[in-house]
Formats: sequence, structure tokens, C-alpha cells
Amino acid sequence: MKHNDLLKKFNLRLEELEKMPRMDQSKTITEVIEEKGFSRREFMKWATATCALLALPAEFTPLVAKAAELADRLPIIWLHMAECTGCSESLLRSDAPSIDSLIFDHISLEYHETLMAAAGWQAEENLENAMKKYKGRYVLMVEGGVPIANEGSFLTIGGHAKRGKDIAIEASNDAAAIFAIGTCSSFGGVQAAIPNPTGAVGLSEVTNKPVINVPGCPPSEKNIVGTLLHFLLYGTLPALDAFNRPKWAYKHRIHDLCERRGHFDAGEFVEQFGDEGAKNGYCLYKVGCKGPYTFNNCSKNKFNQGTSWPVQAGFGCMGCSEPDFWDTMGTVGEPLKDKLYNTVFDGMGADATADNIGVNLLIATGVGIAAHAAISAIKHPKGDE
Amino acid sequence: MIKFIEKIEGEAKLNFSFDEHKKIDFVDIEFFSTRNIEKILENKPALDALVINPRVCGICGHAHLIATTKALEDCYKNIEVPNNAKILRELTLNFEIMQNHFKWFYLSILPLLGERQHLLKATFPSQILAKAIAVVGGQYPHTSYSLVGGVVCDITVMDILKITHLIDEVMKYFEKNLLVDESEEFLNYKNIENILNKDGDLIKTLLKFKQNSWQHLGRSYGRFVVFGQNSYFNSGKSIKTTVSKNLNFANIKEQTNQNSYAKNVTYKNKYYEVGPLSRAMLNKIPLIKDSHRKYGDSIFSRILARMYEIPQLLNHSKKLLDELDLDKPFYIEPKIDISKISGSGYGCVEAARGTLLHKVKLHNGIIEKYDIITPTQWNLSNGTKEKLGVSQKAMIGLSDINLAEIVFKSFDVCSVCTTH
Repeated sequence: MKHNDLLKKFNLRLEELEKMPRMDQSKTITEVIEEKGFSRREFMKWATATCALLALPAEFTPLVAKAAELADRLPIIWLHMAECTGCSESLLRSDAPSIDSLIFDHISLEYHETLMAAAGWQAEENLENAMKKYKGRYVLMVEGGVPIANEGSFLTIGGHAKRGKDIAIEASNDAAAIFAIGTCSSFGGVQAAIPNPTGAVGLSEVTNKPVINVPGCPPSEKNIVGTLLHFLLYGTLPALDAFNRPKWAYKHRIHDLCERRGHFDAGEFVEQFGDEGAKNGYCLYKVGCKGPYTFNNCSKNKFNQGTSWPVQAGFGCMGCSEPDFWDTMGTVGEPLKDKLYNTVFDGMGADATADNIGVNLLIATGVGIAAHAAISAIKHPKGDE
Repeated sequence: MIKFIEKIEGEAKLNFSFDEHKKIDFVDIEFFSTRNIEKILENKPALDALVINPRVCGICGHAHLIATTKALEDCYKNIEVPNNAKILRELTLNFEIMQNHFKWFYLSILPLLGERQHLLKATFPSQILAKAIAVVGGQYPHTSYSLVGGVVCDITVMDILKITHLIDEVMKYFEKNLLVDESEEFLNYKNIENILNKDGDLIKTLLKFKQNSWQHLGRSYGRFVVFGQNSYFNSGKSIKTTVSKNLNFANIKEQTNQNSYAKNVTYKNKYYEVGPLSRAMLNKIPLIKDSHRKYGDSIFSRILARMYEIPQLLNHSKKLLDELDLDKPFYIEPKIDISKISGSGYGCVEAARGTLLHKVKLHNGIIEKYDIITPTQWNLSNGTKEKLGVSQKAMIGLSDINLAEIVFKSFDVCSVCTTH
């Protein structure tokens, strides 16, 4: 779509949203943000950054800002399945100056077990009411895998002991859009690791509605907020890769934009944690970084308001946004030598529609890794003593 | 009568029964979700536990990481762990403990007392503390920066400056919002009355308890235990005020429950309370001892102990930072590769909610058995009428189940941890 068409489309969409009533009548998002001491300038700065994150040209910034201001038009239902609440945690500490958290504080999370004030029977009723009242209009965000072993009895919720699986299906049926937040609800997550005792699966396995996966353990707050803003702007599902991940966030490998990439290309590796290479910030591939096999934008966004990320800390990437990373990404601290020829689509990566340049680049990377892995097998003295 | 407790990173069902005076005479505590993490760990390479275990819990995952590291290191008979690594592990764990305390106070306790939920008051300090963890560990939640033999990061002077600044900011926040006090003295108060004439959200809450004559509510056995000895916390058990230092991991027993996914935990066949109040009792913090003398192990003492731990830990964290020696290593590769290790080990730390214990058995570097005992299991053990668990005992005798919920939550319940 050309820019002008897209601009027109967004404008129409936002006009439409503007006509809808606000969930909370007392204050607008603009007022809330101003009240908390953020200037218009700071807000626009945030909008510019978010615009870039969504891979939109700079001229779309005012629209992104407007979309954020209209975020309280969308009813949102957030469900917890089998999980650790880490995704909500990630969201709760989204960007400072915390414009994201302000928006999330104020947008109508019609049902969020951790954040809402209601509890117990009242909460259960709220959920049913919200699903009825906003039928076909609400955005469903699900955190956590859905356990289906033993008829789903490993997770029951509320006074009627409803099974998590049934709630997930029911809520999916009438949702305008469904986002699976985190690796658990995208692919089953840590509880789905072999032998998967509770039979945990991703949300897309239990519903026949399209599910947008926002994996990561936890996903960065930017990707959660970005997915929501994307839906606000487009009103349709984003372009997705083979695992239903939005391309704007999961198009590139961690490796592609990694801050240590230069050292990889130069063949400078950390041979063991704590060595001179580690002090010099060399590439972590040989101590088990799974960045070359993992599609996510951590290397650009980092975590905790851009403070740091695993590669910067010196541990390397664990591949946490890939399906079944517990079982498929191999041993901690060891490079994934054999993985080279077994990545999705026979080494073509998750993005099957990558253009030729992309494919060529990928092959070059692959060769690089194979060569280094071979050297690693000889050089690394571990286990010889 | 059944009540559902939410906002505990999951859900718990409390089934109350009442005597003829309409007072609670028994509470059955049930948890309905489980993920069976211990089962998943079996037959996996030992180091995989470092990545899987933080995911037991999204709010205290770091404690699980450090406990895992320690348990694996314990499998080596003698392993050298650099002092710098020990300091950093303690530091990041302190930060995690504190950020949990802030969230518990503003998101769990205040709304129960009829206050509006102050989301930002909870997230502001926890954002700062998470940032401080990220400076060292790369991200929060779910960092895996600590591993057998040390930590992976190499801290620079710049990082230390950053962390110092973040600690100061949290301290400022605490002094401005929770306990407004200009003097430097507030860490050394000896008497409850010293703080009750001050201002701040913590003081207001405590006064509310006094006004309603609730300060004695929620008393249990007065039996405390702390296993996670480190440079700040003292391990030991304390019954009323008698302290004993001799603890043995072998005396800790876990029993399964028929109608709940949570397991009960006892020490020498007795239920003990773990958490900030226990730690304060064993550390002999004068202010908390005073509260305990006046009001016993009540919700009043628990709230005060938990929140008063924040400035203590901030202070101690600064001292820890000073002890870092940047010329010394942060990681020393173990002399024997983990794939040649067979044996078992314990890893024990103090997490936000109390003592967290990991037990591991390795055979040639493969996990044969893994056992996790979480703090909430101690406090929320579902005992019988004859032998009540700590939180059950604390709720007995109340007639209002809303008050019972406050008592229940005063233990800072975490459902995902409890059932893991």
C-alpha cells in the first residue's frame, strides 16, 4: 500500500474510533498523561519512537500519537492461563517516562486478574459481563499456556471451577482480535517442555480463530504495546511470519542487529565466561548464544526501558521467542552446532517469504557459524580435564 | 462459605467453616493450577535448570535462579565461587525482594483497606529496581545471568554509579511516600510510637489498623524460621523470642494434599512462618521486635516488617556495592565439567516471601530429581483442625471473611510458586 493510501486508511480508522464512547468517561488519556507531568513534547517523543518501532515512516507520528490517545476506546480482556505472570510484570514496568504504563493504566482493561480491583465471584461476573457487553468488539490478550491433559483439569478458575481451556475458547469466539502474549500462550511455554505433564499448548491450538503470537519470555513491553497500537491504527491483523508473529517485531534475527555482531564477523569469541574475551565484549556464540536462530527485536529494543538485555549482560540469547525453545535450542552454555541444518523451513528461517537478498545473507551467516563451530570443537577445552 | 482470592499471581480457594458463635473455626486452602516444573526438569542437563527455573515465577524468578545456581554448586564438593559473584547475586536478589514489597503494599494490601488502587505508586519504584537488576543481569523478569562458578557479567565503575543512583532514587521514594521522615534516624527506631506520629502511606495504613483495633489480628504460632543465610539475613529459628541457630535441611518434610495442588511443609513436624517478619525477628531489628512484643505476629507486625525491610536492604545494598573489587574475577570456570558430576545439593535463599529451597540430585550432569519448596508453601500449608497451618491458625476466630482475606494476604501469597 502506498503511503498516501495508508495515511487515508489510518485517518478513517481513527475517525471511526473517535466516534466510539470512551470506556472511562471521567478523563481522557491526554488528560491523564498531562496530569502525571508529561509535556506534550515528551509524549510526541514517545510517539516518534513507537512509530519507528512499528516500522512506519516519521510522518505517521501524529497518527500514532492519536491512536495512543484513542486507546481507551478499545475494550480489552486479559486472561491468565498456566503461567508465571512474568508477561504482566514486563508490561507493568513498561517505558519510563512511563507513558506506556499510563496508557495501560487508563485504557479499559475490562478484565485483568492482576490489575483489577474486583476479585472472586465479582471478578467472574465481570468477565462474563464484559464478554457479553463488548461482544465482537473486544481485544483478547491471553497470557499463559492452555493445559489440555486430563481434560484440562490442571487449571480451573473461579467459583464454577471452569477449566482454563473452556474460558480461553469462549473468550476467543467473540473477540475482534486475539493476541497471545508471551511464549506460553503462543507455543505452550516452559510447562510444555518434555514430558509436558500438563499437556500445555499455545492458544492457537485450542481456538480456530486467528491468533497473533507475541512470544518472548517475557516479551518486551514495547512489543506488547506496539501490537495493540498496530491494531488501533490498522484495525486488521499485522503482516505475520510463519509462526503468526508480527513481522514488524519478529522479522529479524537477534544476530542481525546484535551489538556484538562485529566480533562475530571478526571471529572474536568468548571461549568461556569470565575470560579476556568476555571482558572485551566478544561474541557469545561459543558459550551458547542462540541469537542466530532467534527472531525478535531485543537487540534493538533491549529490556527494562532500554537498560540492558541478555547479550549485553554477557549470557547470550536463550531463544525464548522460538517455539519449544526449552527442547529445541539445546544445552545452556553450548553452541547449537547441529541446529544449522534443522532450523525451520530447512534453514531458511521463520520468514519463508524473505526475498533473495535475505536468503543469501542467511546462508552466508550459516556458513560462518558452521566454520566457527568447527573451530570451537577443537579450541574449547571443556570436558578434557 | 467459599471465598476466592485473586491477584496472587493466580487464584486460591478458601473454604471457611464457622462455629456456633459465627467465628471461623477452620479454613481449607486449595490451589487449582499446576505446571509440574519439577517433573519437566527430570532427565534434562543440569544447566538447563538455570533457564527453566526462573520461569517458575514471574515475580520472584530471580530467587529461583540464585537457588538453582547454589543447589548446582552444592553438588560439587568444593567449588570456588568468586566473592564478586556472591555480592552481585545478593544485590540483585535484594532488588527483587524490594520490588515485590512495593507491589504487595500498593496492589494487594491498600485496595483491601478500601483505598483506590495506586498502580503507579507500585510500578514507579519497582521499575527502578527492575532496572537495577537489568544493569547486572540483562533483563528482568527472567534473567539467567548467574551460573555455576559465578556470574556472566563484568561490572564496570559506570555500572556501579548507575546502580548507586537507582538505589538512592528508591530510598528517596520511600522517604517521600511510605515513611516521611527528614531525620537519618528512621533506620534505628526502637519504639513503634516513634514512627506513628510521622506521615506517609505506610504510617497511615498502620494507624488505620490501630483505629479499628485490628493491630492484634492475624496472630499465629509465633514460630519463625529463616534458612537463607547471607551477608545480611541470619538463619535460625525463633519460637516466641527464643532463638536457635542449629538448622538441618534434612528435617524439612513435604506432604502432598488431597484436594489441592500445593504441598505442605514442616520443620521437625511443625509449621513455621517464613518471610520478612521471621527475618526481622532473627536479625533482631529493634522496631519490629517492639511491634512483636506489643502485638505479636499480627498483620500489623507483618506489614511493618515487610515494608521496613526496604530501607534496611537499600542500606545494606550500598555497602555490598562498596565491597565489589573490579580487579578480581566474576567467574571462575569449575575445575570439573558438570557432565562429570554426580551427587546432590541444596540451594537456599531468602526470597521476598521467605525461605526458598531447591534440592537437586545429579547423575553425570543429568538431573535425576529436582525438588522446589517455596515460601508460600510454608506459610499456606493446608493443615488439619488438630494441626493448623500458619495462615490457617492466623485466620481462626475472625468473623469477617474480608478481614480473613487481609490476614491471608499479609503473608504475601504467590499462587504460581506454591504449586509450580
